[in-house]
Amino acid sequence: MAKRIDVKDVDIYYGKFQAVRGVNLTIEPRSVTAFIGPSGCGKSTVLRTLNRMHEVVPGARVSGDVLLDGEDIYGSSVDPVNVRRTIGMVFQRPNPFPTMSIYDNVVAGLKLQGTRMRKHELDDAVERSLVSANLWHEVRSRLKKPGSGLSGGQQQRLCIARAIAVQPQVLLMDEPCSALDPISTLAIEDLIQQLKATYTIVIVTHNMQQAARVSDRTAFFNLAGVSQPGELVEMDDTEKIFSNPSDKRTEDYISGRFG
Amino acid sequence: MRDIYHDELDDIGNRVLMMINLVAVAMQRATEALLDANLALADQVIADDDRVDALRAELEDRTFQVIAQQAPVATDLRVLIATNQVSSDLERMGDLAHHVAKTARLRYPDVAVPPEIRDVIRQMGEVAASLVTKVADVVEGRDVALAQAIEEEDDSMDALLRKLFTVVLSPNWARGTEAAIDTTLLGRYYERYADHAVAVARRTVFIVTGRRA
Repeated sequence: MAKRIDVKDVDIYYGKFQAVRGVNLTIEPRSVTAFIGPSGCGKSTVLRTLNRMHEVVPGARVSGDVLLDGEDIYGSSVDPVNVRRTIGMVFQRPNPFPTMSIYDNVVAGLKLQGTRMRKHELDDAVERSLVSANLWHEVRSRLKKPGSGLSGGQQQRLCIARAIAVQPQVLLMDEPCSALDPISTLAIEDLIQQLKATYTIVIVTHNMQQAARVSDRTAFFNLAGVSQPGELVEMDDTEKIFSNPSDKRTEDYISGRFG
Repeated sequence: MRDIYHDELDDIGNRVLMMINLVAVAMQRATEALLDANLALADQVIADDDRVDALRAELEDRTFQVIAQQAPVATDLRVLIATNQVSSDLERMGDLAHHVAKTARLRYPDVAVPPEIRDVIRQMGEVAASLVTKVADVVEGRDVALAQAIEEEDDSMDALLRKLFTVVLSPNWARGTEAAIDTTLLGRYYERYADHAVAVARRTVFIVTGRRA
């Protein structure tokens, strides 16, 4: 079910402004890849091009290829909505639909897809997704209560349940823990470890220790220079990046010598 | 960025250099005390070893604190891990100089080293001094090439120890068992001192390359 992503010679622009240049990388199925780098280096921008989410910004465009198991997600016959269904996303701030119940939040994606499902099928999908998101035991007795009544950490897990309810192949996470307390953060990190058995996961994080804890591969992005676009400096096994990176800029960044 | 952290790492590095300097001076003085039966100098070496031990304890505490509080990675982490091992080697080098000084004091007013061994011991002291000076350069300059050169110099120390054994084990040995034991142990102290110096150099290679030398 999990799929591989190949990014080839990708340049990303917002209007005339080039945000990112020349990114080449491969993300293996059933692995966790962390994107790290200073603010403004383009890591979130690259993440968003992986499911065409950047297109919601007017003037945004991409050149190069993003292949999902060899298929170009920017192909002319490809529906971006379908891409986003296959490649789900979890955002920085937990954003459950505020007026919806926990149950309705989880099935929101399924209903939007227009798939006709029987009540028991929906019930199964809700339970399966909430179990996968490590939230089932905390909310099973109050599925009809509003999602906004949950704690921040629970809300984020609800968003993860909502994202995986539509059975995506890839899960993108844009700083999923930066609005959470340390305990909720560790709960999400444990969850990421469990989810990688099923999904390909890409996580953008400002917390380098989090990247070191949860990811198999780490990609370091940085600005190519003053007023220059962001670029991929180095991507390697996380163990290597944090013990003996090949590029001095990576070493300086992870050691806190700049950024 | 992270100025206090980096200042602390620099300062830890300076304390390691201070330790190297202390154990260098200790062995140099211990050799002089041994060959000249200089009691005051032997006593000074013995007393000064406390400073080496104190530095080792201090470095252990400080590296622990930085690891606990600053989450060091990559080179910084290798420096801290290596510092802990290096300070342990240096403390041991201090102890070995201390043993040499104690042998000198034990036999005072006699000279602990019989005349036929004197030259070998003097050479061992010279090799030890040369090695530890180079180790200081290796550590300060993170000099991998020099670290490898040190290994060869250590071979000459091993050769001197074999030479010393040949003399003691010869049928012509006329100094008795006690002198034989003293001599054998002294040779061993110098040889171990050199081995620990080589270990310090190897840790420096690890800091630079991330691979065990």
